[in-house]
Amino acid sequence: MRSSRRVAFSGRTSPLRIRLCILALLALMGLPSLAVAQLTVKADRDLRFQVVIQGVAKYVPPNDPVYSGEFEFTAAIGNQVQLGFTLPNNLAGPAGATMPIAFGNNDAIAQGTGPTSVPVVFNPKGVSVFRLVTSNRILVFIGGTVTPAANQRTGAYTAPIVFTVTIL
Amino acid sequence: MHNLTKVAALMGLALGVTATAAAQNNASINATAVVQQPIAVSATRTLDFQNILPGVAKVIGVGAATSGEFSVTGQASTAANMSFVLPVNLVNGGNNLPIGTWTGYWNTANNATAGGTAFTPSVALTGMTFSGTGTAFVFVGATVTPTVAQAAGTYTGTVQMTVTY
Repeated sequence: MRSSRRVAFSGRTSPLRIRLCILALLALMGLPSLAVAQLTVKADRDLRFQVVIQGVAKYVPPNDPVYSGEFEFTAAIGNQVQLGFTLPNNLAGPAGATMPIAFGNNDAIAQGTGPTSVPVVFNPKGVSVFRLVTSNRILVFIGGTVTPAANQRTGAYTAPIVFTVTIL
Repeated sequence: MHNLTKVAALMGLALGVTATAAAQNNASINATAVVQQPIAVSATRTLDFQNILPGVAKVIGVGAATSGEFSVTGQASTAANMSFVLPVNLVNGGNNLPIGTWTGYWNTANNATAGGTAFTPSVALTGMTFSGTGTAFVFVGATVTPTVAQAAGTYTGTVQMTVTY
């Protein structure tokens, strides 16, 4: 009996331990998975220039409450985060037409949602580092300027703006 | 144990990958614009009351030969808005001739009596739409009301129309 029990025990020991280890490791994997949930980035609103007249540049400031682009992200208070954009140089239009778009050094604003948060202007063309102090949800706005040529082909133009947040 | 080591190593690798993914995230919006032709407004015809008599009001309708007319060009088949700055008096030196009861008519064709839309000119925005070739015509009429003691002379005023997308 001892022998058979020992055999039976030893014969199943290794797979059982492996299963337990896997379970333990899976449980551990849950910890960094929580870190995933602590950083979310969301696109809220397109940057809309609306109607643009041939030969007339148009600027949408980042504090425009309706037409500026808007993102938001959430991270834990105390996190140091790096914000960066992938910005287009041109909007793409009909029949392969392109229209220049430019972003100024003050064309991005980060605004915390805490009661004492104050907006911070930053340069969307570089990376900026912030530490979350008073709120864990941050709104990020972006403006820009389009410069249509006098003979700019009429029609709709568009290009993506990618906003990336990295926890440092 | 050998198997256990392999599993642990794989799990460790998985942990490392997960930790890296946890540190960064992104989202995307679009920058959008619609390019249109500029709007050009031309004063085609003066609103002309011609001769009037003291104490006798005179009406010039939009379909009259002497109604005021603007011609407008812009983006074909596109909506726009008109607004007006209108005088309350025509002026001759220090004398005023009251003008009011403004009438308007816009059309994609150069026709003040058919195929268009009547409206009341004012500072408020009034909608219009350019034709398929990007043209529009706007006609303006009004009424002058001279007093019985209206001083003789030539009276003028300015009717200003603005069109925007």
